[in-house]
Amino acid sequence: MSEVSAATRAELAKILTLPGAWIATGVILALHVLVQIPPAGLFADAVANITSDGIIEIFTGQPQPATEAILGLCAGASLQMGLFLPVLASVIAGQEFRSRQLGLTVLAMPRTVPLLVAKLLATALYVSVVAILIAGISSAFVYAAVRDWNPGLLVTGEALLGHGRFVAFAVLFCLTAFAVTLTVRDTLIGVVVTVVLITVTMTQVLAGIAPEVDALFPLSAARNLMLDPGVNDLTAGRAHGLLVLAGWAAVTAVAAGVTLGARDAR
Amino acid sequence: MIEINGLSKHYRNRKAVDDVTFTARPGRVTAFLGPNGAGKSSTLRVLLGLDAATGGRALIGGRRYRDLRYPLRTVGALLDGAGPVPERRAIDHLSWIARSNRIPRERVREVLDLVGLADAARHRVKNHSLGMRQRLGIAGALLGEPEVLVLDEPVNGLDPDGIRWVRDLLREHAALGRTVLLSSHLMKETADIADDVVIINRGRIVVRGTLAEVTAGHASLEEAFFALTGDRIGARR
Repeated sequence: MSEVSAATRAELAKILTLPGAWIATGVILALHVLVQIPPAGLFADAVANITSDGIIEIFTGQPQPATEAILGLCAGASLQMGLFLPVLASVIAGQEFRSRQLGLTVLAMPRTVPLLVAKLLATALYVSVVAILIAGISSAFVYAAVRDWNPGLLVTGEALLGHGRFVAFAVLFCLTAFAVTLTVRDTLIGVVVTVVLITVTMTQVLAGIAPEVDALFPLSAARNLMLDPGVNDLTAGRAHGLLVLAGWAAVTAVAAGVTLGARDAR
Repeated sequence: MIEINGLSKHYRNRKAVDDVTFTARPGRVTAFLGPNGAGKSSTLRVLLGLDAATGGRALIGGRRYRDLRYPLRTVGALLDGAGPVPERRAIDHLSWIARSNRIPRERVREVLDLVGLADAARHRVKNHSLGMRQRLGIAGALLGEPEVLVLDEPVNGLDPDGIRWVRDLLREHAALGRTVLLSSHLMKETADIADDVVIINRGRIVVRGTLAEVTAGHASLEEAFFALTGDRIGARR
């Protein structure tokens, strides 16, 4: 266990001293803030006009229960930015294939399983912090709008659970991207694979003709996990979404472990 | 002690290493010589667990490299071609390596001083010269104060002062009863360092023995090398 702990600390140190990881993190967080600014005024107006029976009209002609709609909006904002997190994971994984650093890594930590576990743990830890920051930014913008209506809304159990679901999605999806990049040994290909997986859901092609297949894709699983089924068209339940995301992370991690162990460290 | 026994490494249809057997003993510097592409780096990569052997075995102190717990405390290695991410600072590069093997943080400073990179510790590796990168690689090999050193082309990119520094370092290491295995294709420098010599050509060992045994009947190690490997360019000289 101490071997894994030392390796995890080393992998974490690698992430924290990798300028590419800081740049990707900074860009994602800055983008999140920028995306939240334009609609903030409109959202504040909608909150100011919440009816006495708790109905909000965020989108014109679509009245909804305010609490659910606001928490859904907060989760949706985080989810939207969470789609960029796999790029960060691929940058972290891809550092091994720049200057053939993988050789040095395997020299320092030659056992495949502890090395892979350490890499996954360190990445999960770093990504979870970034995901918490994203959730925090989403919450800050929502709080600015709702503080006069219901200042305690964002510390309710449902709100915190929503953030927890987002962090779970972010970590599991990033581990998938990380493991794919480690398997294909190329940052760009890792990013492309992730984009393809996201695109399948974004096009909504499968959701219409085979929703049960669509539910097996990571972004669909994330929607199923995070969004309110009363407001959104979803293809499966929350538990299914979580299992699918965990399944992707597990299967790709095994594939990464097999290739890491079987192929020469180049 | 490094023991390589019947080691083979094939890449598809090419035999990079073919039934290689030799030993590097404690207290001695063993030079592993051969032309480019002869199989030196492949042999060392298999020894260090980076590449899988097609056949045979390579042991360090009677164990496979990957079976060593915190291996950098036993074996220090410099690999040709494997390097740090260019954007990372030298001190950060050594720090993650140290953490991975529970090597005290102070040791990072010590080895940076030792290799003459203390002033460049906070510079990004991409701003280092070739010689500085080589020194950084050697610093990484020395981090764990290992009993065994395996260095692939350690003087590549070093200036004459650096070459002399490496020579003294390796001699001191061997004098302490430690094992040193270095690969090189630089004959003159190697002749000044080595106690034992192993020459490989086209994946096969062509001779192994003490420096005196290998050079017997030849004017120099370089002459012995060309005679034994039948190097065409050398033969034309």
